[in-house]
Amino acid sequence: MTPIEALERARRSSAVWIGVGLLLMAAVYVRALVFTPVEAVQGPAQKIFYIHVPSAWVAFLAFGILGVTSAVYLFLKDPRLDLFAASTAEVGMVFTTAVLVTGPIWGKPIWGTWWTWDARLTLTLFLWFIVLAYLVLRTAIHDPAQRARYSAVLGILGALLVPFIYVSVYLFRTMHPMPVVLRPGGPSLPGAMLATLLFSFAVFTLFFVALLWHRYALARLADVRARADAERADA
Amino acid sequence: MPDNGGFTVAAYIAAVVIYLCYAIYLVRGGRAKG
Amino acid sequence: MVDLLRAAWAIAAKDVLLEFRSRTAFVSALVFTALVLAIFNFARDPTAVSAVDLAPGILWITFTFAAMLGLNRAFGLERENRALDGLLLSPVSRTAIYLGKVLANLVFVGSVEAIALPLFALFFNVPILPVLGPLVLVIALATVGFVAVGTLMSSMAVNTRLAELMLPVLLLPFLVPPVTSAVQMTARLFAGRPFSEVSAWLRLLVGYDIIFVAACILLFESTIEE
Repeated sequence: MTPIEALERARRSSAVWIGVGLLLMAAVYVRALVFTPVEAVQGPAQKIFYIHVPSAWVAFLAFGILGVTSAVYLFLKDPRLDLFAASTAEVGMVFTTAVLVTGPIWGKPIWGTWWTWDARLTLTLFLWFIVLAYLVLRTAIHDPAQRARYSAVLGILGALLVPFIYVSVYLFRTMHPMPVVLRPGGPSLPGAMLATLLFSFAVFTLFFVALLWHRYALARLADVRARADAERADA
Repeated sequence: MPDNGGFTVAAYIAAVVIYLCYAIYLVRGGRAKG
Repeated sequence: MVDLLRAAWAIAAKDVLLEFRSRTAFVSALVFTALVLAIFNFARDPTAVSAVDLAPGILWITFTFAAMLGLNRAFGLERENRALDGLLLSPVSRTAIYLGKVLANLVFVGSVEAIALPLFALFFNVPILPVLGPLVLVIALATVGFVAVGTLMSSMAVNTRLAELMLPVLLLPFLVPPVTSAVQMTARLFAGRPFSEVSAWLRLLVGYDIIFVAACILLFESTIEE
Protein backbone atom coordinates (compact mmCIF):
# COMPACT_ATOMS: atom_id res chain seq x y z
CA MET A 1 0.00 0.00 0.00
CA THR A 2 1.37 3.36 -0.93
CA PRO A 3 1.49 6.05 1.75
CA ILE A 4 -1.41 7.89 0.13
CA GLU A 5 -3.53 4.74 0.08
CA ALA A 6 -2.80 4.12 3.74
CA LEU A 7 -3.72 7.68 4.62
CA GLU A 8 -6.93 7.50 2.60
CA ARG A 9 -7.79 4.32 4.47
CA ALA A 10 -7.20 6.14 7.76
CA ARG A 11 -9.33 9.04 6.58
CA ARG A 12 -12.27 6.81 5.77
CA SER A 13 -11.99 4.71 8.93
CA SER A 14 -11.75 7.74 11.16
CA ALA A 15 -14.75 9.30 9.42
CA VAL A 16 -16.73 6.22 10.37
CA TRP A 17 -15.57 6.54 13.95
CA ILE A 18 -16.59 10.20 13.96
CA GLY A 19 -20.06 9.01 13.02
CA VAL A 20 -19.95 6.47 15.82
CA GLY A 21 -18.87 9.21 18.21
CA LEU A 22 -21.79 11.41 17.20
CA LEU A 23 -24.25 8.56 17.70
CA LEU A 24 -22.78 7.84 21.12
CA MET A 25 -23.03 11.52 21.95
CA ALA A 26 -26.73 11.31 21.11
CA ALA A 27 -26.89 8.41 23.56
CA VAL A 28 -25.23 10.55 26.21
CA TYR A 29 -27.78 13.27 25.56
CA VAL A 30 -30.67 10.88 25.97
CA ARG A 31 -29.23 9.34 29.08
CA ALA A 32 -28.43 12.69 30.69
CA LEU A 33 -31.69 14.38 29.82
CA VAL A 34 -34.16 11.55 30.26
CA PHE A 35 -32.64 8.81 32.41
CA THR A 36 -30.62 10.77 34.94
CA PRO A 37 -32.34 12.20 37.98
CA VAL A 38 -32.73 15.94 38.28
CA GLU A 39 -30.64 17.51 41.02
CA ALA A 40 -32.94 18.84 43.71
CA VAL A 41 -31.25 22.12 44.59
CA GLN A 42 -30.01 23.30 41.22
CA GLY A 43 -32.74 21.95 39.02
CA PRO A 44 -32.48 20.79 35.43
CA ALA A 45 -29.69 23.24 34.61
CA GLN A 46 -27.28 21.06 36.57
CA LYS A 47 -27.40 18.63 33.65
CA ILE A 48 -25.24 20.95 31.58
CA PHE A 49 -22.49 19.55 33.78
CA TYR A 50 -22.58 16.26 31.84
CA ILE A 51 -21.57 18.07 28.65
CA HIS A 52 -19.44 20.87 30.05
CA VAL A 53 -17.08 18.88 32.25
CA PRO A 54 -16.13 16.13 29.75
CA SER A 55 -15.56 18.84 27.12
CA ALA A 56 -13.23 20.60 29.54
CA TRP A 57 -11.36 17.37 30.20
CA VAL A 58 -10.81 16.88 26.47
CA ALA A 59 -9.78 20.52 25.99
CA PHE A 60 -7.08 20.24 28.63
CA LEU A 61 -6.02 16.82 27.37
CA ALA A 62 -5.60 18.22 23.87
CA PHE A 63 -3.57 21.11 25.21
CA GLY A 64 -1.33 18.73 27.12
CA ILE A 65 -0.78 16.66 24.00
CA LEU A 66 0.02 19.85 22.12
CA GLY A 67 2.69 20.82 24.65
CA VAL A 68 4.33 17.40 24.73
CA THR A 69 4.26 16.94 20.96
CA SER A 70 5.78 20.39 20.48
CA ALA A 71 8.65 19.55 22.80
CA VAL A 72 9.26 16.19 21.13
CA TYR A 73 9.22 17.84 17.72
CA LEU A 74 12.07 20.16 18.65
CA PHE A 75 14.12 17.12 19.59
CA LEU A 76 13.25 14.80 16.73
CA LYS A 77 12.41 17.31 14.00
CA ASP A 78 9.97 14.86 12.42
CA PRO A 79 7.48 16.95 10.40
CA ARG A 80 4.72 14.44 11.16
CA LEU A 81 4.93 15.50 14.80
CA ASP A 82 4.28 19.06 13.72
CA LEU A 83 1.24 17.99 11.70
CA PHE A 84 -0.01 16.02 14.69
CA ALA A 85 0.45 18.99 17.00
CA ALA A 86 -1.42 21.27 14.62
CA SER A 87 -4.26 18.76 14.33
CA THR A 88 -4.47 18.53 18.11
CA ALA A 89 -4.60 22.30 18.37
CA GLU A 90 -7.45 22.60 15.91
CA VAL A 91 -9.56 19.81 17.36
CA GLY A 92 -8.79 20.98 20.90
CA MET A 93 -9.97 24.45 19.91
CA VAL A 94 -13.41 23.08 19.10
CA PHE A 95 -13.77 21.45 22.50
CA THR A 96 -12.41 24.53 24.28
CA THR A 97 -14.98 26.67 22.49
CA ALA A 98 -17.73 24.31 23.63
CA VAL A 99 -16.52 24.67 27.23
CA LEU A 100 -16.57 28.47 26.98
CA VAL A 101 -20.06 28.43 25.47
CA THR A 102 -21.66 25.92 27.85
CA GLY A 103 -19.92 27.39 30.90
CA PRO A 104 -21.74 30.73 30.95
CA ILE A 105 -25.04 29.07 29.99
CA TRP A 106 -24.58 26.92 33.09
CA GLY A 107 -23.31 29.79 35.19
CA LYS A 108 -26.25 32.10 34.66
CA PRO A 109 -28.93 29.95 36.32
CA ILE A 110 -26.60 28.44 38.93
CA TRP A 111 -24.42 31.38 39.97
CA GLY A 112 -26.64 34.22 38.77
CA THR A 113 -23.96 35.59 36.49
CA TRP A 114 -22.95 34.75 32.92
CA TRP A 115 -19.24 35.00 33.59
CA THR A 116 -17.04 34.54 36.63
CA TRP A 117 -13.28 34.81 36.79
CA ASP A 118 -12.91 31.56 38.67
CA ALA A 119 -9.84 29.42 38.13
CA ARG A 120 -11.27 26.88 35.72
CA LEU A 121 -13.15 29.23 33.43
CA THR A 122 -10.31 31.74 33.35
CA LEU A 123 -7.76 29.05 32.63
CA THR A 124 -9.96 27.72 29.84
CA LEU A 125 -10.29 31.21 28.39
CA PHE A 126 -6.52 31.61 28.26
CA LEU A 127 -6.10 28.15 26.82
CA TRP A 128 -8.43 29.32 24.08
CA PHE A 129 -6.33 32.44 23.49
CA ILE A 130 -3.08 30.49 23.37
CA VAL A 131 -4.41 27.90 20.93
CA LEU A 132 -5.86 30.70 18.83
CA ALA A 133 -2.48 32.41 18.76
CA TYR A 134 -0.93 29.08 17.76
CA LEU A 135 -3.35 28.62 14.87
CA VAL A 136 -3.03 32.24 13.74
CA LEU A 137 0.75 32.01 13.83
CA ARG A 138 0.63 28.93 11.64
CA THR A 139 -1.41 30.73 9.01
CA ALA A 140 1.08 33.58 9.01
CA ILE A 141 4.19 31.50 8.24
CA HIS A 142 4.54 29.89 4.85
CA ASP A 143 7.76 27.92 5.02
CA PRO A 144 6.79 24.54 6.52
CA ALA A 145 10.01 24.05 8.47
CA GLN A 146 9.88 27.53 9.98
CA ARG A 147 6.19 27.13 10.73
CA ALA A 148 6.86 23.84 12.50
CA ARG A 149 9.64 25.35 14.62
CA TYR A 150 7.70 28.46 15.57
CA SER A 151 4.59 26.45 16.40
CA ALA A 152 6.62 24.14 18.61
CA VAL A 153 8.16 27.08 20.47
CA LEU A 154 4.72 28.58 21.09
CA GLY A 155 3.31 25.20 22.09
CA ILE A 156 5.99 24.67 24.70
CA LEU A 157 5.77 28.19 26.11
CA GLY A 158 1.99 27.92 26.21
CA ALA A 159 2.16 24.70 28.20
CA LEU A 160 4.60 26.33 30.63
CA LEU A 161 2.26 29.28 31.05
CA VAL A 162 -0.73 27.26 32.24
CA PRO A 163 0.40 26.65 35.84
CA PHE A 164 1.34 30.32 36.19
CA ILE A 165 -2.08 31.46 35.08
CA TYR A 166 -3.65 29.02 37.49
CA VAL A 167 -1.61 30.43 40.38
CA SER A 168 -2.34 34.00 39.30
CA VAL A 169 -6.07 33.36 39.32
CA TYR A 170 -5.89 31.47 42.62
CA LEU A 171 -3.98 34.27 44.34
CA PHE A 172 -6.28 36.85 42.80
CA ARG A 173 -9.33 35.10 44.15
CA THR A 174 -7.99 34.61 47.66
CA MET A 175 -7.26 38.32 47.80
CA HIS A 176 -10.67 39.22 46.35
CA PRO A 177 -13.04 36.60 47.72
CA MET A 178 -15.78 35.80 45.29
CA PRO A 179 -19.35 35.19 46.50
CA VAL A 180 -19.81 31.68 47.83
CA VAL A 181 -20.62 29.47 44.92
CA LEU A 182 -22.62 26.29 44.86
CA ARG A 183 -20.43 23.32 44.08
CA PRO A 184 -22.34 21.63 41.32
CA GLY A 185 -21.76 17.93 41.26
CA GLY A 186 -19.99 18.21 44.64
CA PRO A 187 -17.62 15.73 46.20
CA SER A 188 -19.88 12.74 45.91
CA LEU A 189 -22.24 12.08 43.06
CA PRO A 190 -25.07 9.64 43.54
CA GLY A 191 -24.69 6.48 41.45
CA ALA A 192 -26.86 7.26 38.45
CA MET A 193 -25.32 10.70 38.00
CA LEU A 194 -21.80 9.37 38.32
CA ALA A 195 -22.52 6.70 35.75
CA THR A 196 -23.82 9.30 33.30
CA LEU A 197 -20.77 11.46 33.86
CA LEU A 198 -18.36 8.58 33.32
CA PHE A 199 -20.22 7.48 30.22
CA SER A 200 -20.02 11.03 28.90
CA PHE A 201 -16.27 11.18 29.64
CA ALA A 202 -15.72 8.00 27.66
CA VAL A 203 -17.80 9.15 24.70
CA PHE A 204 -16.20 12.59 24.51
CA THR A 205 -12.74 11.08 24.66
CA LEU A 206 -13.57 8.67 21.88
CA PHE A 207 -15.08 11.46 19.80
CA PHE A 208 -11.91 13.52 20.32
CA VAL A 209 -9.66 10.67 19.25
CA ALA A 210 -11.74 10.06 16.12
CA LEU A 211 -11.69 13.73 15.16
CA LEU A 212 -7.95 13.98 15.84
CA TRP A 213 -7.18 10.86 13.83
CA HIS A 214 -9.19 12.20 10.89
CA ARG A 215 -7.70 15.67 11.08
CA TYR A 216 -4.20 14.23 11.23
CA ALA A 217 -4.89 12.02 8.22
CA LEU A 218 -6.08 15.09 6.30
CA ALA A 219 -2.97 17.01 7.31
CA ARG A 220 -0.70 14.17 6.22
CA LEU A 221 -2.53 13.83 2.91
CA ALA A 222 -2.24 17.54 2.20
CA ASP A 223 1.44 17.43 3.11
CA VAL A 224 2.19 14.39 0.92
CA ARG A 225 0.37 15.96 -2.01
CA ALA A 226 2.15 19.28 -1.54
CA ARG A 227 5.52 17.55 -1.60
CA ALA A 228 4.55 15.58 -4.71
CA ASP A 229 3.49 18.79 -6.43
CA ALA A 230 6.72 20.48 -5.44
CA GLU A 231 8.74 17.60 -6.85
CA ARG A 232 6.79 17.66 -10.07
CA ALA A 233 7.34 21.40 -10.34
CA ASP A 234 11.07 20.95 -9.90
CA ALA A 235 11.30 18.16 -12.47
CA MET B 1 -36.86 23.13 42.32
CA PRO B 2 -35.90 26.07 40.08
CA ASP B 3 -37.38 26.23 36.60
CA ASN B 4 -34.21 26.54 34.56
CA GLY B 5 -34.62 23.78 32.01
CA GLY B 6 -34.41 26.32 29.21
CA PHE B 7 -30.73 26.82 29.96
CA THR B 8 -30.14 23.09 29.73
CA VAL B 9 -31.76 22.95 26.34
CA ALA B 10 -29.76 25.94 25.13
CA ALA B 11 -26.46 24.48 26.31
CA TYR B 12 -27.12 21.02 24.90
CA ILE B 13 -28.11 22.45 21.55
CA ALA B 14 -25.14 24.83 21.46
CA ALA B 15 -22.71 22.02 22.20
CA VAL B 16 -24.08 19.64 19.61
CA VAL B 17 -24.14 22.40 16.99
CA ILE B 18 -20.48 23.16 17.63
CA TYR B 19 -19.42 19.52 17.48
CA LEU B 20 -21.62 18.58 14.56
CA CYS B 21 -20.58 21.57 12.47
CA TYR B 22 -16.93 20.80 13.02
CA ALA B 23 -17.38 17.10 12.26
CA ILE B 24 -19.21 17.90 9.04
CA TYR B 25 -16.66 20.56 8.06
CA LEU B 26 -13.85 18.10 8.63
CA VAL B 27 -15.31 15.16 6.77
CA ARG B 28 -16.76 17.20 3.89
CA GLY B 29 -13.56 19.23 3.56
CA GLY B 30 -11.47 16.11 3.38
CA ARG B 31 -13.70 14.64 0.70
CA ALA B 32 -13.69 17.85 -1.33
CA LYS B 33 -9.91 17.96 -1.52
CA GLY B 34 -10.22 14.39 -2.75
CA MET C 1 30.51 32.29 29.95
CA VAL C 2 32.42 35.56 30.00
CA ASP C 3 32.62 35.48 26.21
CA LEU C 4 28.90 34.97 26.09
CA LEU C 5 28.24 38.01 28.23
CA ARG C 6 30.73 40.08 26.39
CA ALA C 7 29.17 39.18 23.04
CA ALA C 8 25.71 39.91 24.40
CA TRP C 9 26.92 43.25 25.69
CA ALA C 10 28.40 44.09 22.31
CA ILE C 11 25.16 43.29 20.53
CA ALA C 12 23.17 45.26 23.06
CA ALA C 13 25.52 48.21 22.78
CA LYS C 14 25.21 48.20 19.00
CA ASP C 15 21.42 48.19 19.21
CA VAL C 16 21.28 50.89 21.84
CA LEU C 17 23.70 53.05 19.88
CA LEU C 18 21.66 52.64 16.71
CA GLU C 19 18.52 53.54 18.56
CA PHE C 20 20.15 56.48 20.25
CA ARG C 21 21.26 57.90 16.93
CA SER C 22 17.80 57.91 15.36
CA ARG C 23 15.73 58.07 18.55
CA THR C 24 12.55 57.64 16.52
CA ALA C 25 11.22 54.61 18.35
CA PHE C 26 12.15 55.98 21.73
CA VAL C 27 10.52 59.34 21.20
CA SER C 28 7.41 57.73 19.73
CA ALA C 29 7.12 55.41 22.71
CA LEU C 30 7.48 58.34 25.08
CA VAL C 31 4.87 60.42 23.33
CA PHE C 32 2.55 57.42 23.22
CA THR C 33 3.01 56.86 26.94
CA ALA C 34 2.35 60.46 27.85
CA LEU C 35 -0.76 60.55 25.69
CA VAL C 36 -2.12 57.31 27.10
CA LEU C 37 -1.62 58.54 30.65
CA ALA C 38 -3.36 61.78 29.81
CA ILE C 39 -6.26 60.05 28.10
CA PHE C 40 -6.73 57.72 31.05
CA ASN C 41 -7.54 60.78 33.07
CA PHE C 42 -10.64 61.26 30.99
CA ALA C 43 -11.46 57.59 30.92
CA ARG C 44 -12.71 57.61 34.47
CA ASP C 45 -15.31 59.34 36.59
CA PRO C 46 -13.31 61.37 39.12
CA THR C 47 -16.24 61.68 41.48
CA ALA C 48 -16.85 57.94 41.65
CA VAL C 49 -13.39 56.47 41.98
CA SER C 50 -10.25 57.93 43.46
CA ALA C 51 -7.16 58.05 41.30
CA VAL C 52 -5.21 55.88 43.70
CA ASP C 53 -7.63 52.98 43.19
CA LEU C 54 -7.21 52.92 39.46
CA ALA C 55 -3.61 54.03 39.37
CA PRO C 56 -1.81 50.66 39.50
CA GLY C 57 -3.86 49.29 36.60
CA ILE C 58 -3.34 52.43 34.55
CA LEU C 59 0.39 52.40 35.18
CA TRP C 60 0.83 48.80 34.09
CA ILE C 61 -1.41 48.96 31.07
CA THR C 62 0.59 51.96 29.94
CA PHE C 63 3.93 50.23 30.55
CA THR C 64 2.77 47.09 28.78
CA PHE C 65 1.60 48.81 25.63
CA ALA C 66 4.63 51.07 25.47
CA ALA C 67 6.84 47.99 25.81
CA MET C 68 5.04 46.23 22.97
CA LEU C 69 5.67 49.22 20.73
CA GLY C 70 9.37 48.92 21.39
CA LEU C 71 9.74 45.17 21.21
CA ASN C 72 9.31 44.71 17.49
CA ARG C 73 12.03 47.21 16.96
CA ALA C 74 14.69 44.76 18.09
CA PHE C 75 14.40 42.36 15.19
CA GLY C 76 12.86 44.84 12.84
CA LEU C 77 16.25 46.53 12.69
CA GLU C 78 17.90 43.37 11.45
CA ARG C 79 15.32 42.61 8.83
CA GLU C 80 16.25 45.65 6.85
CA ASN C 81 19.34 44.83 4.79
CA ARG C 82 19.11 41.25 6.04
CA ALA C 83 21.57 42.14 8.73
CA LEU C 84 20.47 39.14 10.75
CA ASP C 85 22.31 36.89 8.32
CA GLY C 86 25.50 38.79 9.00
CA LEU C 87 24.96 38.42 12.71
CA LEU C 88 24.33 34.70 12.38
CA LEU C 89 27.45 34.18 10.29
CA SER C 90 29.60 35.79 12.93
CA PRO C 91 31.06 33.51 15.62
CA VAL C 92 28.57 34.74 18.15
CA SER C 93 26.36 32.17 19.86
CA ARG C 94 22.61 32.34 19.42
CA THR C 95 22.22 32.74 23.16
CA ALA C 96 24.43 35.81 23.06
CA ILE C 97 22.24 37.27 20.33
CA TYR C 98 19.14 36.67 22.40
CA LEU C 99 20.64 38.09 25.58
CA GLY C 100 21.96 41.06 23.68
CA LYS C 101 18.53 41.77 22.23
CA VAL C 102 16.89 41.39 25.62
CA LEU C 103 19.40 43.75 27.15
CA ALA C 104 18.84 46.35 24.43
CA ASN C 105 15.08 46.02 24.88
CA LEU C 106 15.46 46.38 28.64
CA VAL C 107 17.37 49.60 28.14
CA PHE C 108 14.68 50.84 25.79
CA VAL C 109 11.69 49.84 27.89
CA GLY C 110 13.43 50.81 31.12
CA SER C 111 14.14 54.28 29.80
CA VAL C 112 10.52 54.76 28.79
CA GLU C 113 9.40 53.54 32.21
CA ALA C 114 11.85 55.83 33.98
CA ILE C 115 10.33 58.84 32.29
CA ALA C 116 6.75 57.60 32.46
CA LEU C 117 6.81 56.95 36.18
CA PRO C 118 7.28 60.54 37.38
CA LEU C 119 4.78 61.65 34.74
CA PHE C 120 2.31 59.15 36.10
CA ALA C 121 2.92 60.32 39.66
CA LEU C 122 2.28 63.86 38.50
CA PHE C 123 -0.89 63.22 36.51
CA PHE C 124 -2.53 61.00 39.08
CA ASN C 125 -1.20 62.59 42.22
CA VAL C 126 0.18 59.33 43.54
CA PRO C 127 2.84 59.51 46.26
CA ILE C 128 5.53 57.24 44.87
CA LEU C 129 8.57 58.63 46.67
CA PRO C 130 7.93 56.90 50.01
CA VAL C 131 7.77 53.52 48.26
CA LEU C 132 10.19 54.23 45.45
CA GLY C 133 12.68 51.48 46.31
CA PRO C 134 10.25 48.54 46.39
CA LEU C 135 8.34 50.05 43.47
CA VAL C 136 11.43 50.12 41.29
CA LEU C 137 12.15 46.52 42.26
CA VAL C 138 8.66 45.43 41.24
CA ILE C 139 8.91 47.34 37.98
CA ALA C 140 12.30 45.81 37.25
CA LEU C 141 11.20 42.24 37.94
CA ALA C 142 8.02 42.50 35.88
CA THR C 143 9.83 44.24 33.03
CA VAL C 144 12.48 41.52 32.87
CA GLY C 145 9.71 38.95 32.57
CA PHE C 146 7.76 40.55 29.80
CA VAL C 147 10.80 41.76 27.87
CA ALA C 148 12.34 38.28 27.93
CA VAL C 149 9.21 36.65 26.55
CA GLY C 150 8.44 39.62 24.32
CA THR C 151 11.87 39.51 22.70
CA LEU C 152 11.39 35.86 21.83
CA MET C 153 7.90 36.45 20.49
CA SER C 154 9.06 39.38 18.41
CA SER C 155 11.78 37.24 16.84
CA MET C 156 8.91 35.16 15.46
CA ALA C 157 6.36 37.90 14.89
CA VAL C 158 8.77 39.93 12.83
CA ASN C 159 8.72 37.22 10.18
CA THR C 160 4.97 37.47 9.67
CA ARG C 161 3.17 39.97 7.51
CA LEU C 162 1.27 41.78 10.25
CA ALA C 163 4.03 41.84 12.82
CA GLU C 164 2.56 44.70 14.86
CA LEU C 165 -0.66 42.76 15.28
CA MET C 166 0.96 39.36 15.65
CA LEU C 167 3.11 40.38 18.58
CA PRO C 168 0.25 41.28 20.97
CA VAL C 169 -1.68 38.17 19.91
CA LEU C 170 1.30 36.01 20.79
CA LEU C 171 2.47 37.92 23.83
CA LEU C 172 -0.55 39.10 25.79
CA PRO C 173 -1.54 35.76 27.35
CA PHE C 174 2.03 35.50 28.64
CA LEU C 175 1.75 38.88 30.33
CA VAL C 176 -1.04 37.82 32.68
CA PRO C 177 1.15 36.46 35.48
CA PRO C 178 3.78 39.24 35.56
CA VAL C 179 1.34 42.10 35.03
CA THR C 180 -1.17 40.76 37.56
CA SER C 181 1.58 40.37 40.13
CA ALA C 182 2.95 43.81 39.36
CA VAL C 183 -0.45 45.50 39.64
CA GLN C 184 -1.26 43.77 42.91
CA MET C 185 2.10 44.62 44.43
CA THR C 186 1.96 48.19 43.15
CA ALA C 187 -1.51 48.61 44.63
CA ARG C 188 -0.34 47.33 48.01
CA LEU C 189 2.65 49.63 47.92
CA PHE C 190 0.55 52.69 47.11
CA ALA C 191 -1.87 51.78 49.87
CA GLY C 192 0.98 51.51 52.34
CA ARG C 193 0.25 47.89 53.14
CA PRO C 194 2.93 45.71 54.73
CA PHE C 195 5.11 43.78 52.35
CA SER C 196 4.21 40.39 53.79
CA GLU C 197 0.83 40.66 52.09
CA VAL C 198 2.41 40.57 48.69
CA SER C 199 5.06 37.91 49.26
CA ALA C 200 3.00 35.34 47.37
CA TRP C 201 2.79 37.61 44.34
CA LEU C 202 6.50 38.29 44.57
CA ARG C 203 7.26 34.60 44.56
CA LEU C 204 5.00 34.15 41.54
CA LEU C 205 6.78 36.95 39.68
CA VAL C 206 10.27 35.73 40.50
CA GLY C 207 9.31 32.17 39.61
CA TYR C 208 7.88 33.36 36.31
CA ASP C 209 11.05 35.30 35.53
CA ILE C 210 13.32 32.36 36.25
CA ILE C 211 11.30 29.79 34.32
CA PHE C 212 10.56 31.94 31.31
CA VAL C 213 13.99 33.51 30.92
CA ALA C 214 15.47 30.00 31.00
CA ALA C 215 12.87 28.65 28.57
CA CYS C 216 13.34 31.57 26.18
CA ILE C 217 17.12 31.18 26.20
CA LEU C 218 16.72 27.52 25.31
CA LEU C 219 14.04 28.10 22.68
CA PHE C 220 15.51 31.16 20.96
CA GLU C 221 17.77 29.03 18.82
CA SER C 222 14.69 27.43 17.24
CA THR C 223 13.34 30.76 16.11
CA ILE C 224 16.29 31.80 13.99
CA GLU C 225 17.59 28.63 12.46
CA GLU C 226 18.21 29.29 8.84
